[in-house]
Amino acid sequence: MSRFRDLLSIAVGGIRARKVRTLLIMLGPVVGVAAMVGAVGLTESAKGDLKARLAELGTNLITAEAGASFGQQNPTLPKSAVSRVKAIESVERASAVAEVKGVVTLPSTAGASYYQTFPVPVLASDDKLPEVLEVPIRSGRWLAKSDGANKTRAVVLGGGLADEYGVLPGEIRTVQLNGIDYGVVGVLDRVPLEPSLDNAAFVTQWAAKHDFATDGAPTKMYVRARPGSTEATSKAIPTAVSLGGSGSVTTKIPSDALEASARADKTLQQTALFAGLLALAVGGLGIANVMSISVIQRSSEIGIRRALGSTRALIALQFLLEALFVGLLGGLVGAVVGVGIVYLVSAIAGWVVVIDYAKMPIWIGLAVGVAAVAGLYPSVKAARLEPLETLRLG
Amino acid sequence: MTSPAAPGAPLLELDGVSRVYGEQVKVYALRDVSLRINAGDHMAIIGPSGSGKSTMLGLLGVLDKPTDGTVFVAGQDTGVLDDDARSRLRGDTIGFVFQQFHLIPHLTAFGNVDTALLYRGLTKAQRRERAMAALEEVGLGARADHRPVQMSGGEQQRVAIARAIVTGPLLVLADEPTGALDTRNAEMVMEIFAGLEIADRAVVLVTHDPRIAATTNRVVSMRDGEIVADVVQDPQPFGEGG
Repeated sequence: MSRFRDLLSIAVGGIRARKVRTLLIMLGPVVGVAAMVGAVGLTESAKGDLKARLAELGTNLITAEAGASFGQQNPTLPKSAVSRVKAIESVERASAVAEVKGVVTLPSTAGASYYQTFPVPVLASDDKLPEVLEVPIRSGRWLAKSDGANKTRAVVLGGGLADEYGVLPGEIRTVQLNGIDYGVVGVLDRVPLEPSLDNAAFVTQWAAKHDFATDGAPTKMYVRARPGSTEATSKAIPTAVSLGGSGSVTTKIPSDALEASARADKTLQQTALFAGLLALAVGGLGIANVMSISVIQRSSEIGIRRALGSTRALIALQFLLEALFVGLLGGLVGAVVGVGIVYLVSAIAGWVVVIDYAKMPIWIGLAVGVAAVAGLYPSVKAARLEPLETLRLG
Repeated sequence: MTSPAAPGAPLLELDGVSRVYGEQVKVYALRDVSLRINAGDHMAIIGPSGSGKSTMLGLLGVLDKPTDGTVFVAGQDTGVLDDDARSRLRGDTIGFVFQQFHLIPHLTAFGNVDTALLYRGLTKAQRRERAMAALEEVGLGARADHRPVQMSGGEQQRVAIARAIVTGPLLVLADEPTGALDTRNAEMVMEIFAGLEIADRAVVLVTHDPRIAATTNRVVSMRDGEIVADVVQDPQPFGEGG
């Protein structure tokens, strides 16, 4: 142990004694590691906002719609679809909407001609939809069971529609659905995973049946699966809904598209990584070169250490340790520089910084590895020097 | 550290040693040389250029291997040792002083002396104590933190002597120790050599300077790779003999 400590102090002393040389040969590992950390960090950070949004929205929402075989023109799901789906063990929550066709929605009598050409989907919904979508109510409240029981003509507007109608938070408003006044009881926030809901108007099942004569059969179902079982649940839903019948059900995981676009550009990342590796390799050549020259310059030191009893192995280890230190220091500095670049560029571009710190030991380890390989030749060369050749006796 | 040898005990012995360079055309740098160096010897090896002094120094210092013959150090046949064992033997038994000092430039005087104590399982405090004692012995305790570039040639050579004696070697081997010094510094360095305790060790000075040879108690003269004289004498102060 004390021998290793002695060796370490010699190697550190050797590096400290030649600060400029050390800094110069450190440049290779610094540039290489900074390029790799920067490459991965920047390509990930460029999609950082999407990743953050995805983490917020969750990836376990599934949508299910009726396939054509359930009906020719307006296929619907069975009325019991929600309760059937809830029987699947991995389903946490489920809700459904039924589209009410042919309803003209107007914000007020003024501007009716303009808004008549503005199609607004009207959806009959249960009271669980925001909970399943995990979307907050921007203002007011969601449809309650009591609305149906009390035969209240209540409507909730999607976030986009509310903006279009100029609904202010807390404002008492009515909208007309096929000429019938409905009180706006709330505004649903925007639904990033299902943007089609942003421009919809939501009414109760009672209203859908009573005022618009629909049968209330769901056209689309929203299901939250237990984390980690989304794929399996998605596959199980069609069977649970059709119960072996002829009706087909198609399911989608809306976060998949978002996830795909949030994935970093792998080609760009690999190209930048390759450039970083190249810089590291060139840096390694620099280390080998400079250290080889250093061995010649320090031949007298090597000779005297050998004369004082150092074995060839100790001399080789001394130079190898110097190379390893250069790699380690270069790797650490490179990592810091790389992280700095990611923060700087992200701040300028307005990205969310994404840095995988768990990979730092890999990048730094690469720098140390390259330095070790680069240091091998000069180390062996130093060990092979004969003290008699270097001390010039007589 | 080596155990002190008994006074008069053989420390180093060359037995029929030859050193030949070249394969097709053989050049004898040393030819069938036998020499015994005993504890208490303060010896000079003298001779003109090409007489084999440097080759002799390499062999005495276990820095080189003979072509023929045997070199014994502290009774150990060095011919049977591998490179590592020879290195360890060299570090344990021999202290070197070179004409060009060969101090490590980025280390202080203390650091240079300390270098000889590395890899010996000593604690930092033990090493510091011994290195400082050696520097005090050569009168440079106050210059311990100075680098070679901040010291005169004489001082650098004194640091080299401190480095040579700090391990308590059986043999101090000096190669033209005053060759790069002016007279005043040479005198100072020779005073240090003359003052070294040699009852249980030996000092060997390889030189062509008769004034240095005169300070020793035994002079071995060489010519054409052979020992031509081996004379015991009364040592004289530097500059008064030779």
